[in-house]
Amino acid sequence: MSGALLLQSLILGVLLGGLYALLAAGLTLYFGIMRVVMIAHSAFLILAAYLAWWFNRETGIDPLVSLIVTVPLFFLTGVVMQRLLVSRLKPLTLTMMSVLLTFAVALIIEGALGFFFTGTQRRIPLPYASASLDFFGAQVPVVKLIAFGLAAVALALLFVLLKYTKFGQALRATIQHPEAARLVGINTDRVAGYGFGLGLATAAIGGTALSLDATIYPSLHWHWIGPLMAIIVVGGLGSIPGAAIAALVLGIAQSLLQLPLGPTWAQTVFYVALFATLMFRPQGFFGGRLAQRF
Amino acid sequence: MTAPRHGRRIAAAIGTLSIAALTVSACSGTGDQGEGGGSDDPIVIGISLPLTGDFSEPGKGVERGYEAWRDIVNENGGLLGRQVELKILDDQSNADRVVSDYESLIAQDGVDLVFGPFSTRLVVPSARVAQEYGMLFVEPAGAAEEVFEQGFDNLFYAAPAIANDHYNNLADYLLALPEDQRPETAAVAAMDDPFAQGTAYGLRDKLEEAGVEILVNEVYPPNTTDFSTIAAKIAQSDADIVIGGTQYQDAVNLIIALQQLNYQPELAAFSTAPTNPEFAAAIGGATEGILAPTGYSPKSQFPSNVEFVEKYTEMHGNPPSEDEANAYTTGQVVAAAVEAVGCAEQGECQQELIDWLRDNEVETVVGPLSWDETGKPTGAHLIQQWIDGEILIVLPEDVKEADFLFPKPTW
Repeated sequence: MSGALLLQSLILGVLLGGLYALLAAGLTLYFGIMRVVMIAHSAFLILAAYLAWWFNRETGIDPLVSLIVTVPLFFLTGVVMQRLLVSRLKPLTLTMMSVLLTFAVALIIEGALGFFFTGTQRRIPLPYASASLDFFGAQVPVVKLIAFGLAAVALALLFVLLKYTKFGQALRATIQHPEAARLVGINTDRVAGYGFGLGLATAAIGGTALSLDATIYPSLHWHWIGPLMAIIVVGGLGSIPGAAIAALVLGIAQSLLQLPLGPTWAQTVFYVALFATLMFRPQGFFGGRLAQRF
Repeated sequence: MTAPRHGRRIAAAIGTLSIAALTVSACSGTGDQGEGGGSDDPIVIGISLPLTGDFSEPGKGVERGYEAWRDIVNENGGLLGRQVELKILDDQSNADRVVSDYESLIAQDGVDLVFGPFSTRLVVPSARVAQEYGMLFVEPAGAAEEVFEQGFDNLFYAAPAIANDHYNNLADYLLALPEDQRPETAAVAAMDDPFAQGTAYGLRDKLEEAGVEILVNEVYPPNTTDFSTIAAKIAQSDADIVIGGTQYQDAVNLIIALQQLNYQPELAAFSTAPTNPEFAAAIGGATEGILAPTGYSPKSQFPSNVEFVEKYTEMHGNPPSEDEANAYTTGQVVAAAVEAVGCAEQGECQQELIDWLRDNEVETVVGPLSWDETGKPTGAHLIQQWIDGEILIVLPEDVKEADFLFPKPTW
């Protein structure tokens, strides 16, 4: 194995990990706020990718422009979904029932995509699809770089939003201790709704990033949800930095492990990490407190 | 709350859903044909197809092909002067169903002839049933090597070649090149799937035997969507040629990942995907020089194909694809035997049909077909290449539409 191949795989792993990080951040957010296991997260991801593809086909404009519409749309959808569906679940069985509920949502999205766009596999034809930049002899594909950039910017914005704004403080308070948050006057219901919307907005960005460099089809989301679930457990349920770091580490690991092990076994890195985490550090590596309760 | 628990829950839920789907999906066989015996009765042909479930897409294609064959035969006066009727049951892509379907078609309904179902997985169990009843079994799908290793003496595959022989024309061409023009190294990536691997490994093994060095030999699971590391390995090896044992999305993603890494092989051969109508749009038109084997082209000039394409296009508004053509071919093969032997019923007649096919060549929409003693067709696939935004037949020489470009232009 040559150094050049190692560098190339490392770069590809970082670029892949960045996308995983953004997607896992959204997924862990739902759990943090509401103890909701959002199986439909990756279905919304594929929905956003389809909207980007459809937008590009109809208008011929770069799919990134579709973000102007899809991000607010997904945010609103998230708020509505939380208010109308998720908040109706009984608190006692919320986590379990949310799996069923969001599983149903995922199936509805998958079915609707098949109905409207057929099962034909689609890809956005981009003029820069196969362009790449030279980096010390390794190739950095432009589309992957854009996707990584989108993910990085979105994650940074999410971080700033949660850390330095009043809404962010309220959201974090809701995550940490909903009752105490209510006592100090936070409308936790509304905050939870916005939090859910925020999670779906990350799916919109992630899906658009994904659509730049993937062939999409309605059932593609099943390939994503497994690794993402594993990532948020490893990172610690509810911890956004944890999810981001775990995603990056596992993304790189998957990419590098393909060199000696081949693609079949490299895929298992997510589940090996998951089992190891549950055995030795069930609260995850960054989350701590939250996960211990479950 | 842990992820494995979700996993079980998801699995259980998926299980429930698929059972529901099975119960809902209706059986498409209708009506009782009774015993076909008298000379004016229609000839009844029993078929079980995956009209629902995993293989419903190709299954319906095969159904369209069979129905087109029936319509065209009946229009031309039928077989032996008798009209042809199809009795098609839905096996729901399930190997147990397919067995009971053929049992009941042969034993209870007393059909005169049977045609094969779709996919290797369903062909093998149904061929065994047909074998027990001594029925001729011509099948339109089931290209994997294992179909012909079961010792069937009643089975014939109605297509030009099995998966491992798809690239034979290409291999012959490459190995006939002068020593200094021959590729020296190759990289192979194949999906973990008997058909996809069969195509790629058929070519790989022939080249390797002739001294071509295999630098990369990757297998990826069918759910792989990220091909960047596989592409990195191939690009780094800088092999002269790249062979992909692919279906669709994997080929598209792999080709783009290779292009992103500026890999320029002298030859790029991928199964299935390049003949898909979406292919050129999906990879942004950067198709130049990509090769694919194909068992059927609507443009090919075999006499019966011209009629088939014209009539089929009239019926459905679009030309037939490979599934339809293979089904139609099945009909042609059986019809040729029936016309030659002069009978179509259960009993001794079936063995006469089998014996006739063993010794004769049949003209079909995919060209003349003949078989070895295992029922394996002895031909090879056409090789098509993307040239100036069109996919054209380049090999073999005698039916080519354009000259084979080797080394291929840059993509």
